Amino acid sequence: MATISATSSIRFCSSLKLSSSTTLQVNGRTSTVKVTHAGWKSKSFPSLRCTGFRVSCSAKPETVQKVCEIVKKQLALPADSELTPDSKFAALGADSLDTVEIVMGLEEEFDINVEEDNSQNITTVQEAADLIEELISKKSGA
Amino acid sequence: MKRLTGLQKQVLALYGGFLRAARAKAPEERKKIEAIVSEEFHRNAKEVDRKNFIYIEYLLRRGAKQLHQLKSPNTISMFTVPVPSPPSKPLP
Repeated sequence: MATISATSSIRFCSSLKLSSSTTLQVNGRTSTVKVTHAGWKSKSFPSLRCTGFRVSCSAKPETVQKVCEIVKKQLALPADSELTPDSKFAALGADSLDTVEIVMGLEEEFDINVEEDNSQNITTVQEAADLIEELISKKSGA
Repeated sequence: MKRLTGLQKQVLALYGGFLRAARAKAPEERKKIEAIVSEEFHRNAKEVDRKNFIYIEYLLRRGAKQLHQLKSPNTISMFTVPVPSPPSKPLP
């Protein structure tokens, strides 16, 4: 039986070269493997903003639940109506003005401030919940 | 949702501004203000011709002024009086 312990360290150089060295220890015999992975040689790091990158972590179920309740209240939907996270506001009979009302209701409920640009891009419950989580974490982090 | 035009974005921003300003008012008045504002926005969204830019811009300016008044802490409530409906088509 061989015991294997591996340690690896990842280092970010100033030129954003990513290198890792791995040390494997097998029954006392040590062999060092040095692996150099990819690196960005050029100075320009691909901007996350330009590529439309968004951190999309699925929001907590209770947040989604709360959002659903507020949406139902704002659109005056029957309490037992089906509302999934992927429901589009437009499909529920909401126009852009109703969407603003929903966002304002959410703002107040979660005590956050949604910027106009963001609020106008929300079309589903899931999107709203994700944005809320993002804003809450930003607020607690700041 | 389709991409919104600049004018549409302005209208939605104004609507949001009204709803935010209404929060600062007494609960009873707030309900009335929200009802009035919501009615007016929805009515104009339905009645005003979407190509009548001059009139929409006029409504935006008027709305911005009204919002400015509403934001003042001295303003505690809002009233409306019925007016004859404005032309929905641009004047020739």
